[in-house]
Amino acid sequence: MSNEVTTIGKRSSTSSNQNVSRWFKKNNHGNRLLTLVLFLPPALLLFTIFVILPIGEAGYYSLFRWNGYGEPSQWVEFSNYVRLFKHGAFDTAVWNTFKIILISLVIQLPLALIIALSIYKKSWANSLFRLIFFLPYILAEVAAGLIWRFVFDGDYGVMARFTEALNTDTWYILADKNWAFVAILVVLVWKYFGFHMMIYIAALQGVPKDLIEASKLDGASRFQAIWYVKIPLIMSGITISIFFSILGALQTFDLIMPLTGGGPSNSTHTLVSYLYTFGITRMNVGFGSAVGVVLFICCVIFAFTYQSTIMKDKK
Amino acid sequence: MASVEFKHIEKIYPGNVHTVKDFNLKINDGEFIVFLGPSGCGKSTTLRMLAGLEDISGGEILINNKVVNDLEPIERDIAMVFQSYALYPHMSVYQNIAFALKLAGLSKSEIEEKVRPVADMLQLTPLLDRKPRALSGGQRQRVAMGRAMVRTPEVFLFDEPLSNLDAKLRNSMRTEIKTLHKKIKKTTIYVTHDQVEAMTLADRIVILRDGKVEQVGTPREIYHSPANKFVAGFIGSPAMNFIPVELAKDEGWHVDIAGQKLNLLGDVDDNQTDTKATLGIRPCDIHITPDLLTNPLVIKGTVENLELLGSTIQLTSRLGDSQITVEAPSSHMVNEDEVTNFYIDESRLHLFSDQTGLSMYKPNAVLE
Amino acid sequence: MFAMRKIRWGKYIFLMLVAGFVLVPMFATVLGGFKSLGELRTNPFGLPDVWEFEYYAQVFADGSIWLLMKNSLIIAFFSVLLTLIIGTMTAFTFSHIKFAGYKYIYNYFLIGMMFPAAAAILPLFLKIRDLGLLDSLSGVVIPQVAFGLGFSILLFRSFFEQLPSELFDAARVDGCSYIKFYWHVILPLSTPILATVGVFVLVASWNNYLLPLLVLNTEQQYPWTLGIMQYRGEYGIEWNRILAYVTVTITPAIVFFLFAQKYIVEGLTGGAVKG
Repeated sequence: MSNEVTTIGKRSSTSSNQNVSRWFKKNNHGNRLLTLVLFLPPALLLFTIFVILPIGEAGYYSLFRWNGYGEPSQWVEFSNYVRLFKHGAFDTAVWNTFKIILISLVIQLPLALIIALSIYKKSWANSLFRLIFFLPYILAEVAAGLIWRFVFDGDYGVMARFTEALNTDTWYILADKNWAFVAILVVLVWKYFGFHMMIYIAALQGVPKDLIEASKLDGASRFQAIWYVKIPLIMSGITISIFFSILGALQTFDLIMPLTGGGPSNSTHTLVSYLYTFGITRMNVGFGSAVGVVLFICCVIFAFTYQSTIMKDKK
Repeated sequence: MASVEFKHIEKIYPGNVHTVKDFNLKINDGEFIVFLGPSGCGKSTTLRMLAGLEDISGGEILINNKVVNDLEPIERDIAMVFQSYALYPHMSVYQNIAFALKLAGLSKSEIEEKVRPVADMLQLTPLLDRKPRALSGGQRQRVAMGRAMVRTPEVFLFDEPLSNLDAKLRNSMRTEIKTLHKKIKKTTIYVTHDQVEAMTLADRIVILRDGKVEQVGTPREIYHSPANKFVAGFIGSPAMNFIPVELAKDEGWHVDIAGQKLNLLGDVDDNQTDTKATLGIRPCDIHITPDLLTNPLVIKGTVENLELLGSTIQLTSRLGDSQITVEAPSSHMVNEDEVTNFYIDESRLHLFSDQTGLSMYKPNAVLE
Repeated sequence: MFAMRKIRWGKYIFLMLVAGFVLVPMFATVLGGFKSLGELRTNPFGLPDVWEFEYYAQVFADGSIWLLMKNSLIIAFFSVLLTLIIGTMTAFTFSHIKFAGYKYIYNYFLIGMMFPAAAAILPLFLKIRDLGLLDSLSGVVIPQVAFGLGFSILLFRSFFEQLPSELFDAARVDGCSYIKFYWHVILPLSTPILATVGVFVLVASWNNYLLPLLVLNTEQQYPWTLGIMQYRGEYGIEWNRILAYVTVTITPAIVFFLFAQKYIVEGLTGGAVKG
């Protein structure tokens, strides 16, 4: 059998049929090709149908006014987008999303870093602290949201204590247009700082001990050792945690619903809760898709610029 | 029972990297062949093509006169021992050895029947339940060999099997491999970059460079009659001295080294038109006393540097522009900066053409 | 020496404060379920004066909570199972089969990882509806698996590539085809990464809210995240009942966390660090 195959390859005038079978034989050692045909399509299909195609469809639907039944027929050009950018609640949602990013970068990540630096060494007490700080991250957002809704409740919880102590009127902070989002930001920091702390701890534990010892011999103070040695060495961890915190901020939704549902008077929406409220609950497929497209573009532009500039030299 | 034949084997990787060029070799049944060469010379690639782990870009490989180019590795009746041992970390020693048999669909008792004697032979019986990570380097090596032996293949392939071991263990494992081969007498192909392994193990050595065969021969042939300058320089430690010389003929052929004349008594390849050549002398063939030599050539030189290595001394001197190394028994007395006579065994001279690099001289009495 | 000691005390006071910030709401939640509304109002954070068990009992009263948990568990189980099977199979084609152009397909999966799941939620909803998966658990499982693929393929592939290549050669010589190698060698060696990815998918699925909210309509199908919001809707500001309910529903996650801490931390942060 094998003799036959090799001599076929030597003859110059081979029919295409034989070429195909020879190519197949050559590439199918160990059933390589059959394995490929069996192993690759499931993921490719699932991924294309449920992740990639809907993005394209969102772009298409966003040009229609459509309630999702029958075929989209009412072509409205860009009026969904025009309507969107004129809508005050959308402005608020964008602004709120921006606030989340800001708080993540200015408060959450530095807090996580300081804590990571103080408990990254292996000890019994440090493991306990790590465990505690990471706990909020594994809670479901809806559960965390409900817990904090109680804490912020004007009649119960911490706000009630607070107003009692000051002897003022009860203050329903989550119903206060000016302060509700601040309360949400507190919950966000509470929920997510432990995650970033764990990234930093993993990175810090990877810093070679002799480097820190060498810096001590060179006369570095504790602070200098942190600033000149530890932080530069965990920079890749920091870059990644910034990346995740911004992508996460752009998609905040689950926490908003139990806390405020976007209220009062649409003052606490994020991009996704806005999309949910104005697109999905009212089945405005066109309008909702337009919000989705804006969100998509924000994420992709951010991800690509961030990866091609800041993360580039890390890879 | 198994011969192996390579016919015009080529290996070209994508990007036109030509790793093996027109490799031809016929290996007889039961022979122990060593592929020797510097890294990147194509020796491992050739072995892997024989094993069926690499595609063959051109030519044919025959095992027992049957073309195996398109056969699966398992169909070629070969077994292989890898450099990193490549033991399955999640399987016990027993399971590692038995894996191929299990894949072949043998029953539990059949597997047991085959694994036991191999484990006994390699002294692995007390270790059969251990995982590879609980074994020492030498034990892992033995498991890897057991895994190869249990299938009773016609051809054994070794890909640098000892290079992960420390020097002491390497010596004893080398002996073990040699003994095993004597016992089971199967065709064996062994790839290494270590010339000591090659010299001690091989029936025949194949020396490769840049994908080409430089010389095929017994260890003696390779050492005493290197076919070209590359082989001459590659084999032997310390390396052969190379001295650029002018070749001239009056009554007979002779060369000049630093103004001193050396007569060549053997046959010089007359087809050579080139007069520029390289003279090769092994450090151990230059002596500092004329004892034991019947008709030595004498050359004067200054001792520049001297190192005592124990039973031998190694000294460097200068002949014209070239530095030479001399190895002598440490009982001899010489001092640094001393001018001394060097006695050269004429029958051990080598001469290589500068144009082709090929050997162009046959001394009268070749020690075989 | 004195200064050092001061720094150390400062550090522990700071850590205790942060720990308080993290834990007080949680303790208040657990204890709140044992208090009457009146006591909850005057004493939200302390131990209850009178331990009331009826609110907790009520959570279990109609048995619906078990159904919610069961649904969550089914969704999570199949999401993990499918992600592990499909993810390893796909990653294996990238790490070992290395077919022509595999890098493009690999990047296709990676790019998709950056896509926000929420952006195309409406077309996704229509797709699920058109495929007849609306109001079924598989309607939650399948998209969830699709969205987890990029991440898991990334982790699996880098793990598979780190396995010594001679292992594959040895297995080929021993008579393994690609599939047998995947089954007999790759999968058994991959338990650490299977655990990492499995835990990640499990936690994400257990906590998922948006997708079930979108897909499921009948209460029979609800996972606990929808159940808890509904309970809260029913009891409004009867916080003691709600807190009891929250406590009961988050307990499995916390217990699981305490037992499988190592894998959970690795699963949830490992991807970030390795990615």
